[in-house]
Amino acid sequence: MSYIEVRDLRKTFTVRKKREKGSLFRERETVEALKGISFSVEQGELLGYIGPNGAGKSTTVKILSGILTPDSGTVSVNGRVPWENRKEHVRHIGVVFGQRSQLWWDVPLLDSYSLLKDIYRLPEADYTSRLKELTEALELGGLLRTPLRLLSLGQRMRAELCGSLLHRPELLFLDEPTIGLDAVSKLALRDFLLWENREHGTTILLTTHDMEDIAALCPRVMVLGHGQKLFDGDLQDLLRRFDTTRTVTVRYEPDISALSLPESAAVSRSGSDWIISYAPDQLPTAQLISLLQDAGSIREMTLQPENIDHLIAAMYREMDL
Amino acid sequence: MNTIRLYLRSMGMLIRCQLEYPVSFFMQTLAQLVMEGGEMMAVILVIDRFGHLGQWEPGNLFFFFGTMSVCFYLTEMFGRGVTGNFPYLVRSGQLDTLLLRPRGLLTQVLCSAVDPRRITCVAVGVTALVLGSRMSSIAWTFPKALAMAESILMGCALILGLFLIEAVFVIFSVKSVELVNALTYGGRSACEYPVDIYPRPLRILFSIVAPFAMVMHVPCSWIMDRPLYGWPAWTAFVCPLSGALVLGIMVLVFYRAIRHYRSTGS
Repeated sequence: MSYIEVRDLRKTFTVRKKREKGSLFRERETVEALKGISFSVEQGELLGYIGPNGAGKSTTVKILSGILTPDSGTVSVNGRVPWENRKEHVRHIGVVFGQRSQLWWDVPLLDSYSLLKDIYRLPEADYTSRLKELTEALELGGLLRTPLRLLSLGQRMRAELCGSLLHRPELLFLDEPTIGLDAVSKLALRDFLLWENREHGTTILLTTHDMEDIAALCPRVMVLGHGQKLFDGDLQDLLRRFDTTRTVTVRYEPDISALSLPESAAVSRSGSDWIISYAPDQLPTAQLISLLQDAGSIREMTLQPENIDHLIAAMYREMDL
Repeated sequence: MNTIRLYLRSMGMLIRCQLEYPVSFFMQTLAQLVMEGGEMMAVILVIDRFGHLGQWEPGNLFFFFGTMSVCFYLTEMFGRGVTGNFPYLVRSGQLDTLLLRPRGLLTQVLCSAVDPRRITCVAVGVTALVLGSRMSSIAWTFPKALAMAESILMGCALILGLFLIEAVFVIFSVKSVELVNALTYGGRSACEYPVDIYPRPLRILFSIVAPFAMVMHVPCSWIMDRPLYGWPAWTAFVCPLSGALVLGIMVLVFYRAIRHYRSTGS
């Protein structure tokens, strides 16, 4: 049996619509947030969970972390049913919401952490060593006496991570952890997550809209849309399916006045660069290169990988999300 | 034991948070004093105009008013998490955070807020109690002190229980329900005065549905040697237990309701 087992998970919400003119009662509408999701996760896995807004990602995370009770279906996390023995379950998990703080706003970080120590009933020695380890890994040392409200977004996210890992959870949920972060903070955060996963074998389940996060962290991705699981597997497999066009930029010296290629390749110019996008299955790359070489003397040539965000957008379109 | 420690530490932290903005804190504390002082002025004016209310002397009225003020504002001070903060916790999604921690939910809700500004209201209540006790020339004995302590404790339990009704509504509809305020704030305003001055429907409301009369008026009237409806002494000790009953029932209902909690968007 896997570490996390989810079978046929369903959850519906009733949403009350705005009252229409002339009618006395508001109409109710049932929204199926999850329409029977099944998956399993092994201990120590790094799993990316993607899907457009409203796909049911957060609902899944909330059920797995014991906040919500599903309508039907079974969940077992290391043998525990999250919503049945909530207190026992949450002792072993950590959750970070990108847009919701779990620390106290006006007091220094150290005070927040020390209160968390009491909440989780951590032994003093254990707490001290773990805090030291985390503050080093997250470079929080100089910030421990600063109130949360004075921290920048990047610092705050690191502080949140530290708070949610103090009790050494075996499973960590991250809900859009890199939202609003600058490039340096994002990279640091990713490094830290990889470190935590490698060092402590922490299972990490990450929801995000940032494809770079997924590419950097998660060997395995799950795509969710309209409450259903659409894909579960290797990120590269997913990309290959939708990665149909490639782009090549070529510069000639001396520059040439015209470039004639088969119709399946689209040619455009930007300054002295020729930009060619083509589909390898219609025009093999080898054939394209020989055509380009025949046209003149190539000074430089770059093959750009397709922007991962465009791929995902194409995928959502194709899957009608 | 650890729970009490956690509560006290949370309180300390929250008070330090509030003192981060000292001017605001002291101004609001002052405002509370003016507000509750005004309530007491109303009672003084009633007494001044009518001299007495039914069988009750001015001193008795101060004593009833004091009991209610002390109970209500102690509850608002230490139970702020339930009485004021809960709708915010639900709407902002902070309740999710609490559900992610290995502690009882109500414990954490209570640990989430404190309102030290109410201390001035409690002080007004205590003043009214002392004044009422002097004017009614109460001869304090151990059983009377015990009845008083029980009445205040159970009063707090009852008020917390009534505010939990609101909390349950909030879980289902996310918006707070004003109707419930009729029981809580309405109950406070009405039961500052002894229940027997009211017509029958209100007497039933405040004796059975929201038993302020059982919790406060029965023991207080006995302490002042003018037992309500001439009831025997043991009722002064048994009737207030209805406060604990209301709280107990509402705690159970609350935990049933939380299973239907639906959280807010991410």
